[in-house]
Amino acid sequence: MIDPTFLADAADRLGPGIPLIGTGIGAGIGVGLVGAKAAEAVGRNPGAFGQILTIGIIGMALAEAVAIYGLIAFFLLK
Amino acid sequence: MPAAFAPFLADIPLYAERYSWAPRWLSNSVLIGVVVMVLILWWTRSATKSIALVPSKPGGQNVAEGIIEMLYSTLVGIVGPHMIGKVFPLLATFFLFILASNWFSLLPGIGTIGFTEHRGAFLSADHLDVPLLRAGNADLNMTLGMALLFMLFWLYWTFSELGFVGFIKHTFGVKGGLKGPLALLLAPLFIFVGVIEIISIAFRPVSLSLRLFGNVYAGETLLHTMSDLGNVLGLPKAVAFIMSILIPIPFYFLELLVGILQALVFTLLCAVYIQLSTTHEDGHGEGDGEKHAH
Repeated sequence: MIDPTFLADAADRLGPGIPLIGTGIGAGIGVGLVGAKAAEAVGRNPGAFGQILTIGIIGMALAEAVAIYGLIAFFLLK
Repeated sequence: MPAAFAPFLADIPLYAERYSWAPRWLSNSVLIGVVVMVLILWWTRSATKSIALVPSKPGGQNVAEGIIEMLYSTLVGIVGPHMIGKVFPLLATFFLFILASNWFSLLPGIGTIGFTEHRGAFLSADHLDVPLLRAGNADLNMTLGMALLFMLFWLYWTFSELGFVGFIKHTFGVKGGLKGPLALLLAPLFIFVGVIEIISIAFRPVSLSLRLFGNVYAGETLLHTMSDLGNVLGLPKAVAFIMSILIPIPFYFLELLVGILQALVFTLLCAVYIQLSTTHEDGHGEGDGEKHAH
């Protein structure tokens, strides 16, 4: 027989991290895709490095923002 | 928290702390904002004090011109030459202020020197109640303030460039040069797209401010956790002290990178938002932008 307060305690500790699972996976995939495509683009047209860098940073920032929302949720739930 | 040797003694709360002896509005993140502002003002004054066509003195004018030129050439490629004169001062200020306050916040002593009731031996402390200075962008008030200021200017620039009717047309109108019955058929779809567009515009200040705040706050917490690692693992005090100095070093380099990256991201996203709403139809604005891009 498991003590119910133990379960509640475990849920309390696990809960805040759960949003980070989904947002972390999503942001990781997003940032990886942007980086891969940016590297491909520079390989195709090395002259456009500056513009690709700008677009790449913007794309990564938008993808990464999702993970930051998860992090904020973690800090608020903690 | 048992040990008094770790350099980061205070947990970092989500809100900015207030001094007991100061007025209510003067929190420690307001104070660091003022300090950074004075530093930037001093730097610009000293760089532009004796302007010369060929700067002879090392540093100063050369560095300032280099930074401003780099920013200008990047931003003019995004917003286009017809808007750059209006938007450049605000966006460049955002970049310089965010960068300066991010890097200034990494100096040792910020977040670790302050006021406390729990005094230890000499001037050490087990726990800081109110640090004297706190990383500037690790306070949502600062980042939200900047984002809301930008959205006000964005509204003004959009309406002065397109007009209110133009903005409605730009958002809800049928795009892609469709005419006749097909345009009529697709109009509800484009109105729905416009509604989504409005929602995404309303979320811009939220995402702008939370991105910067989350990155800087997470960085501060990361450094704090890393320097506290020895104590958490229960190692002897001397080992924990050495670990608290050595382990955070690589993460400081990461934070230097994050500091300039987030300043750049904030500025570039603001520029992109302006470009999205002030570019005229028929690709006329975009053509201008490409002609002048480097």
